Amino acid sequence: MGVIVTAIAVLAALCGGAGLTSGLERLFVRPVWEPGPVHAADLRHPLDLPNADRWLLPAGPVVAFAGTALAMIVVPLGSGLIGRDLGIGAFYVIVVIDFVVLGLALAGWGANVPNTVEACYRIIAQLVAYVVPLGLAYVGVIMMARSLSTVAIVEAQRGLWFIVLQPLGFLLYLVTGLMQSYRAPFLEPFAVSIRGGVLGASGGWSALLWRIALAGVLFLVAAIGAVLYLGGPNGPVLPGWFWMTLKTYALMALMLGLGRLVRPLSTAEMLALSWKILTPVGLLNVLLVGGLILLGVRP
Amino acid sequence: MTAAFEILAFAVSGFVAIAGALGMTTTMSMFRSGIFLMASFIGVAGLFILLAADLIGLLQIMMYIGGMLVMILFMVLVMHDPGGAMMAGMDMAPIERWFSAGLEPRKPRQGGHGDHGDHAVQHTDDDGHGSHEGHGGMDMSMVTPVRPAAAWLAIVVGTVLIGMLIWRPAWPVVGTLPDPDSAARVGHLLMEKYMIAFEGAGFLILIGIFGAVLLARPSTYPDDPSRSAKVAVDRKPEAIADDRIAPLAGRDRDHRAGDDGL
Amino acid sequence: MSVPLTPYLGVAAVLFAIGVYTVIAQRSAVMILMGVEVLLNAIGLNIIAFWRFTAPADYSAQIFAILVITVGAIEMAIGLAIVMLLYRQRQTAEIDSYADLKR
Repeated sequence: MGVIVTAIAVLAALCGGAGLTSGLERLFVRPVWEPGPVHAADLRHPLDLPNADRWLLPAGPVVAFAGTALAMIVVPLGSGLIGRDLGIGAFYVIVVIDFVVLGLALAGWGANVPNTVEACYRIIAQLVAYVVPLGLAYVGVIMMARSLSTVAIVEAQRGLWFIVLQPLGFLLYLVTGLMQSYRAPFLEPFAVSIRGGVLGASGGWSALLWRIALAGVLFLVAAIGAVLYLGGPNGPVLPGWFWMTLKTYALMALMLGLGRLVRPLSTAEMLALSWKILTPVGLLNVLLVGGLILLGVRP
Repeated sequence: MTAAFEILAFAVSGFVAIAGALGMTTTMSMFRSGIFLMASFIGVAGLFILLAADLIGLLQIMMYIGGMLVMILFMVLVMHDPGGAMMAGMDMAPIERWFSAGLEPRKPRQGGHGDHGDHAVQHTDDDGHGSHEGHGGMDMSMVTPVRPAAAWLAIVVGTVLIGMLIWRPAWPVVGTLPDPDSAARVGHLLMEKYMIAFEGAGFLILIGIFGAVLLARPSTYPDDPSRSAKVAVDRKPEAIADDRIAPLAGRDRDHRAGDDGL
Repeated sequence: MSVPLTPYLGVAAVLFAIGVYTVIAQRSAVMILMGVEVLLNAIGLNIIAFWRFTAPADYSAQIFAILVITVGAIEMAIGLAIVMLLYRQRQTAEIDSYADLKR
């Protein structure tokens, strides 16, 4: 019984967060810009694709949505407001958000249209680009919090937020978070030139699920960023959920705004950025954090 | 965790693991084969989590979602018929038909485009040799002629292994529950007792990366045919929308002129 | 532990048999690599099952499972690089056409 209530609460939190996210995102889209994951998709009419794979195409949005819903479980929205405090929460989040990539690849191939197949290739290349620096951005925080549990990470920042101690890690998280959520400079898989990729070949319920899943990814990335670097629900006077919401959407607005300052990068440029700059920066961050811990600097 | 839930979870995970592996080896579509293998790994990861090794289970899922997706990219690159469309119409064993359900059989086109065969990535590869349409007359089957023998061998191996399991079922089973915080225990072991093995594995990965990059680099010999086969980036990428596959059905999705490139 | 050890080992045995079939019967090099992955995975499942049921206090088994996964990943990377190299030279990924490498 308790499990069902938790599941409904988590789903409601995801849908609410995704709705607010798409509302916020609308502020950052101009007609001349690439829309990226907010590319137009027809929510009312299902689309008939003659050559589509009958199993893989519908599986895509379901898998992606399931991935975001599973990741939502370990996000602490307030003191006690968490689906389940897993002992390996941070690692769990990295793993289950990968299901969104899997869903996009499944639907991209399954639609069997040149544009979406191209989107499938770009999605996979982007996964290769972000996954290593993203892991390195988590590692610094985990080293200082001495735990993988999201609740323990929030507790460790009761005195001082990790953004103060690890500014480099925070910058790295901003960039890789944008890559992970396919937002502004890294929107190659949803580019206009391939007509929105997977979104262009979705309609009806699948378009709705894609909307929730893609907004949910950005919401999750911002929420996890707030947990990792901004102290999560910690804050004076006001209740925890208010601080968590405020930090999440402030971080999201910062990411979207910064992302729009740069021209969109192609997948090849993304890979070069990842392996030539972000990964060394991540390793440097881990080294610096290790030095701080050895010096006895703790929040 | 109640007993009924555990049995149910074991049944589902075991079924996914075995059905995924079977589907991997019998389906006609290369892409599906990779997806089935991924499903099999996720099923095994479910079994790991049931066995209280949740860290290993999650590690397995993370490794193989990324790994299998990249492997699928390579399969699409090197296979004649990654979508299985040309073979879907051939006669298949029942199990193959079952795992290939939903694949649209399609004859190779006049223009030589198979299923997804025409992409910017492959273009430079196809320059100068027979390209994909050159293989029209050859045996397209994915399996070798020794397949029946292999199937019998696999059945024998499986029967012998399971027979041995049933014949000697008395393992010295210990009833204690493992520590729920397995991440901390594994971390301490990795950094203390097994540090040499851990660092050795890291070094092995580094050497593996170097080796893979060295092997995959285009050759520097002037008369090597692979010299021209730069696959990474086309200098002037082929417009994707120019593929001669039938346009999308549906309203206002068929204006395909004038949007090559950003 | 309402599911005993033997069913886990049975699943691993079936996976191993499927892997053997794949390695022998498949024609393309990439599929053979995937068969090897299934074999490694069956071994990993065996290791973890034995750890859980016979020595749950000793976490060494998980280390070996991690090493098995690592080796699988490296095998895949190197194998794919070799397949790419051969594919560029011969325009095919079928194992039979590489037979002259034996000489």
